[in-house]
Amino acid sequence: MSAAPDEPAPGAVPADEGLQPERTALAWQRTVLGVVVGSLLLAATGVRAGSVLTVCAAAAVGVLALVPAVLRPPTGRLPGHGRLYSWSFLVRVAGLVVVLALVGAAASLAGALGAA
Amino acid sequence: MAEEPGAERPDTRRPRSVYGVGTEPDARFSLANERTALAWVRTGLGLVAGGVALTSFATFANMSGVLDVVAGFACLVGAGFAGYALLSWRRNERALRLRRRLPAPSGLPVLVVGVVVLALLLAGYAVGAAVGG
Repeated sequence: MSAAPDEPAPGAVPADEGLQPERTALAWQRTVLGVVVGSLLLAATGVRAGSVLTVCAAAAVGVLALVPAVLRPPTGRLPGHGRLYSWSFLVRVAGLVVVLALVGAAASLAGALGAA
Repeated sequence: MAEEPGAERPDTRRPRSVYGVGTEPDARFSLANERTALAWVRTGLGLVAGGVALTSFATFANMSGVLDVVAGFACLVGAGFAGYALLSWRRNERALRLRRRLPAPSGLPVLVVGVVVLALLLAGYAVGAAVGG
Protein backbone atom coordinates (compact mmCIF):
# COMPACT_ATOMS: atom_id res chain seq x y z
CA MET A 1 0.00 0.00 0.00
CA SER A 2 2.73 2.50 -0.90
CA ALA A 3 1.55 5.78 -2.31
CA ALA A 4 1.66 6.25 -6.07
CA PRO A 5 4.53 8.45 -7.31
CA ASP A 6 2.18 11.21 -8.43
CA GLU A 7 0.34 11.19 -5.14
CA PRO A 8 -0.40 14.84 -4.39
CA ALA A 9 -1.02 16.13 -0.90
CA PRO A 10 0.46 14.31 2.06
CA GLY A 11 -2.29 12.73 4.07
CA ALA A 12 -4.45 12.13 1.01
CA VAL A 13 -6.09 8.73 1.11
CA PRO A 14 -4.04 6.35 -1.07
CA ALA A 15 -5.56 4.74 -4.13
CA ASP A 16 -7.43 1.53 -3.41
CA GLU A 17 -5.74 -1.42 -5.09
CA GLY A 18 -9.09 -3.13 -5.55
CA LEU A 19 -10.19 -0.16 -7.69
CA GLN A 20 -13.39 0.11 -5.68
CA PRO A 21 -13.92 3.84 -6.33
CA GLU A 22 -13.66 3.25 -10.09
CA ARG A 23 -16.03 0.33 -9.91
CA THR A 24 -18.50 2.42 -7.98
CA ALA A 25 -18.14 5.30 -10.43
CA LEU A 26 -18.76 2.94 -13.32
CA ALA A 27 -21.78 1.49 -11.54
CA TRP A 28 -23.14 5.03 -11.26
CA GLN A 29 -22.49 5.64 -14.93
CA ARG A 30 -24.24 2.42 -15.95
CA THR A 31 -27.21 3.29 -13.81
CA VAL A 32 -27.48 6.83 -15.14
CA LEU A 33 -27.07 5.57 -18.68
CA GLY A 34 -29.87 3.10 -18.04
CA VAL A 35 -32.17 5.83 -16.75
CA VAL A 36 -31.40 7.99 -19.80
CA VAL A 37 -32.04 5.10 -22.22
CA GLY A 38 -35.21 4.21 -20.35
CA SER A 39 -36.49 7.77 -20.56
CA LEU A 40 -35.69 7.84 -24.30
CA LEU A 41 -37.72 4.66 -24.68
CA LEU A 42 -40.58 6.22 -22.75
CA ALA A 43 -40.36 9.38 -24.86
CA ALA A 44 -40.56 7.27 -28.01
CA THR A 45 -43.64 5.55 -26.60
CA GLY A 46 -45.14 8.96 -25.81
CA VAL A 47 -44.48 10.20 -29.35
CA ARG A 48 -46.08 7.03 -30.69
CA ALA A 49 -49.13 7.49 -28.47
CA GLY A 50 -49.27 11.25 -29.19
CA SER A 51 -49.06 12.11 -25.50
CA VAL A 52 -47.23 15.40 -24.90
CA LEU A 53 -47.34 14.85 -21.16
CA THR A 54 -45.49 11.53 -21.40
CA VAL A 55 -42.80 13.04 -23.65
CA CYS A 56 -42.26 15.98 -21.29
CA ALA A 57 -42.06 13.74 -18.22
CA ALA A 58 -39.60 11.41 -19.94
CA ALA A 59 -37.43 14.34 -21.05
CA ALA A 60 -37.40 15.76 -17.52
CA VAL A 61 -36.35 12.39 -16.04
CA GLY A 62 -33.60 12.02 -18.65
CA VAL A 63 -32.14 15.46 -17.89
CA LEU A 64 -32.40 15.10 -14.12
CA ALA A 65 -30.69 11.71 -14.28
CA LEU A 66 -27.49 13.34 -15.51
CA VAL A 67 -27.02 15.22 -12.25
CA PRO A 68 -25.81 12.38 -9.97
CA ALA A 69 -23.39 11.21 -12.65
CA VAL A 70 -20.78 13.58 -11.22
CA LEU A 71 -20.85 12.03 -7.76
CA ARG A 72 -17.89 9.67 -8.09
CA PRO A 73 -15.15 11.02 -10.30
CA PRO A 74 -13.06 7.92 -11.07
CA THR A 75 -9.78 9.29 -9.79
CA GLY A 76 -8.88 5.99 -8.22
CA ARG A 77 -8.88 7.39 -4.73
CA LEU A 78 -11.25 7.10 -1.86
CA PRO A 79 -12.74 10.46 -0.93
CA GLY A 80 -10.05 12.45 0.84
CA HIS A 81 -12.27 13.50 3.69
CA GLY A 82 -13.08 9.85 4.31
CA ARG A 83 -16.82 10.28 4.23
CA LEU A 84 -19.15 8.98 1.58
CA TYR A 85 -22.33 10.87 0.83
CA SER A 86 -24.48 8.25 -0.84
CA TRP A 87 -27.98 8.56 0.48
CA SER A 88 -29.31 11.66 -1.29
CA PHE A 89 -27.89 10.51 -4.62
CA LEU A 90 -29.33 7.03 -4.21
CA VAL A 91 -32.70 8.52 -3.28
CA ARG A 92 -32.59 10.74 -6.34
CA VAL A 93 -31.75 8.02 -8.84
CA ALA A 94 -34.25 5.57 -7.29
CA GLY A 95 -36.88 8.32 -7.29
CA LEU A 96 -36.26 8.93 -10.99
CA VAL A 97 -36.75 5.23 -11.69
CA VAL A 98 -40.01 5.31 -9.71
CA VAL A 99 -41.22 8.34 -11.70
CA LEU A 100 -40.28 6.58 -14.93
CA ALA A 101 -42.18 3.48 -13.75
CA LEU A 102 -45.30 5.44 -12.81
CA VAL A 103 -45.39 7.34 -16.11
CA GLY A 104 -44.79 4.07 -17.98
CA ALA A 105 -47.53 2.31 -16.02
CA ALA A 106 -49.91 5.20 -16.73
CA ALA A 107 -49.03 5.06 -20.42
CA SER A 108 -49.60 1.31 -20.59
CA LEU A 109 -52.87 1.66 -18.65
CA ALA A 110 -54.01 4.28 -21.16
CA GLY A 111 -53.02 1.89 -23.91
CA ALA A 112 -55.03 -0.91 -22.28
CA LEU A 113 -58.08 1.34 -21.96
CA GLY A 114 -57.65 2.53 -25.54
CA ALA A 115 -57.40 -1.03 -26.82
CA ALA A 116 -60.38 -2.27 -24.84
CA MET B 1 -3.56 19.86 6.96
CA ALA B 2 -4.65 16.24 6.87
CA GLU B 3 -7.82 15.59 8.76
CA GLU B 4 -8.31 12.20 10.26
CA PRO B 5 -11.56 10.82 8.88
CA GLY B 6 -14.33 11.45 11.34
CA ALA B 7 -11.95 12.82 13.93
CA GLU B 8 -13.48 16.00 15.26
CA ARG B 9 -16.16 17.15 12.84
CA PRO B 10 -19.61 15.95 13.86
CA ASP B 11 -21.15 13.56 11.38
CA THR B 12 -24.17 15.33 9.90
CA ARG B 13 -24.90 12.91 7.12
CA ARG B 14 -28.42 11.76 6.49
CA PRO B 15 -30.17 9.44 7.23
CA ARG B 16 -29.57 9.65 10.95
CA SER B 17 -30.97 6.14 11.41
CA VAL B 18 -27.80 4.94 9.64
CA TYR B 19 -25.11 7.47 10.47
CA GLY B 20 -26.28 8.01 14.02
CA VAL B 21 -25.30 4.50 15.07
CA GLY B 22 -22.11 2.48 15.20
CA THR B 23 -18.71 3.43 13.89
CA GLU B 24 -17.36 4.16 10.43
CA PRO B 25 -16.72 0.93 8.50
CA ASP B 26 -14.01 0.39 5.90
CA ALA B 27 -14.90 2.74 3.04
CA ARG B 28 -14.55 -0.13 0.59
CA PHE B 29 -17.43 -1.95 2.28
CA SER B 30 -19.59 1.16 2.00
CA LEU B 31 -18.66 1.48 -1.67
CA ALA B 32 -19.57 -2.16 -2.23
CA ASN B 33 -22.89 -1.57 -0.48
CA GLU B 34 -23.51 1.41 -2.75
CA ARG B 35 -22.79 -0.69 -5.84
CA THR B 36 -25.20 -3.34 -4.60
CA ALA B 37 -27.92 -0.72 -4.19
CA LEU B 38 -27.18 0.57 -7.70
CA ALA B 39 -27.43 -2.96 -9.06
CA TRP B 40 -30.91 -3.21 -7.50
CA VAL B 41 -31.84 0.15 -9.06
CA ARG B 42 -30.70 -1.16 -12.44
CA THR B 43 -32.71 -4.36 -11.94
CA GLY B 44 -35.82 -2.29 -11.31
CA LEU B 45 -34.93 -0.08 -14.25
CA GLY B 46 -34.67 -3.15 -16.48
CA LEU B 47 -38.20 -4.17 -15.55
CA VAL B 48 -39.47 -0.63 -16.16
CA ALA B 49 -37.72 -0.41 -19.53
CA GLY B 50 -39.06 -3.85 -20.47
CA GLY B 51 -42.58 -2.78 -19.58
CA VAL B 52 -42.30 0.46 -21.54
CA ALA B 53 -40.86 -1.40 -24.53
CA LEU B 54 -43.68 -3.95 -24.29
CA THR B 55 -46.45 -1.34 -24.30
CA SER B 56 -44.75 0.47 -27.16
CA PHE B 57 -44.49 -2.77 -29.09
CA ALA B 58 -48.15 -3.53 -28.39
CA THR B 59 -49.23 -0.30 -30.10
CA PHE B 60 -46.95 -1.00 -33.07
CA ALA B 61 -48.29 -4.50 -33.62
CA ASN B 62 -51.86 -3.47 -32.73
CA MET B 63 -52.12 -6.20 -30.13
CA SER B 64 -54.60 -6.65 -27.33
CA GLY B 65 -54.74 -4.81 -24.04
CA VAL B 66 -53.51 -7.87 -22.15
CA LEU B 67 -49.95 -6.95 -23.06
CA ASP B 68 -50.50 -3.42 -21.77
CA VAL B 69 -51.65 -4.81 -18.44
CA VAL B 70 -48.56 -7.02 -18.24
CA ALA B 71 -46.41 -4.01 -19.14
CA GLY B 72 -47.99 -1.89 -16.42
CA PHE B 73 -47.40 -4.71 -13.92
CA ALA B 74 -43.72 -4.89 -14.92
CA CYS B 75 -43.37 -1.12 -14.52
CA LEU B 76 -44.86 -1.15 -11.02
CA VAL B 77 -42.72 -4.11 -9.91
CA GLY B 78 -39.67 -2.23 -11.23
CA ALA B 79 -40.62 0.78 -9.12
CA GLY B 80 -40.87 -1.53 -6.13
CA PHE B 81 -37.32 -2.77 -6.69
CA ALA B 82 -36.02 0.80 -6.92
CA GLY B 83 -37.56 1.40 -3.51
CA TYR B 84 -36.16 -1.88 -2.20
CA ALA B 85 -32.69 -0.71 -3.26
CA LEU B 86 -32.91 2.16 -0.78
CA LEU B 87 -34.31 -0.09 1.93
CA SER B 88 -31.59 -2.71 1.56
CA TRP B 89 -28.85 -0.08 1.33
CA ARG B 90 -29.97 1.31 4.69
CA ARG B 91 -30.19 -2.11 6.33
CA ASN B 92 -26.78 -3.16 5.04
CA GLU B 93 -25.09 0.10 6.00
CA ARG B 94 -26.51 -0.13 9.49
CA ALA B 95 -25.25 -3.69 9.80
CA LEU B 96 -21.81 -2.60 8.55
CA ARG B 97 -21.63 0.24 11.05
CA LEU B 98 -22.76 -1.93 13.94
CA ARG B 99 -20.42 -4.75 12.88
CA ARG B 100 -23.35 -7.09 12.65
CA ARG B 101 -23.92 -9.83 10.14
CA LEU B 102 -25.48 -8.61 6.90
CA PRO B 103 -29.23 -9.22 6.61
CA ALA B 104 -30.45 -11.74 4.06
CA PRO B 105 -31.32 -10.28 0.63
CA SER B 106 -35.07 -10.65 1.05
CA GLY B 107 -35.77 -9.04 -2.32
CA LEU B 108 -34.06 -11.83 -4.23
CA PRO B 109 -36.82 -14.51 -3.96
CA VAL B 110 -39.41 -11.85 -4.79
CA LEU B 111 -37.42 -10.92 -7.89
CA VAL B 112 -37.11 -14.53 -9.01
CA VAL B 113 -40.83 -15.22 -8.51
CA GLY B 114 -41.76 -11.97 -10.24
CA VAL B 115 -39.61 -12.65 -13.29
CA VAL B 116 -40.95 -16.23 -13.54
CA VAL B 117 -44.56 -15.00 -13.28
CA LEU B 118 -43.89 -12.36 -15.93
CA ALA B 119 -42.30 -14.93 -18.24
CA LEU B 120 -45.22 -17.34 -17.75
CA LEU B 121 -47.76 -14.58 -18.45
CA LEU B 122 -46.01 -13.60 -21.67
CA ALA B 123 -45.51 -17.22 -22.74
CA GLY B 124 -49.16 -17.96 -22.05
CA TYR B 125 -50.20 -14.93 -24.05
CA ALA B 126 -47.93 -15.91 -26.95
CA VAL B 127 -49.24 -19.50 -27.00
CA GLY B 128 -52.83 -18.29 -26.72
CA ALA B 129 -52.35 -15.82 -29.56
CA ALA B 130 -50.70 -18.47 -31.75
CA VAL B 131 -53.44 -21.07 -31.09
CA GLY B 132 -56.42 -18.73 -31.09
CA GLY B 133 -55.30 -16.29 -33.77
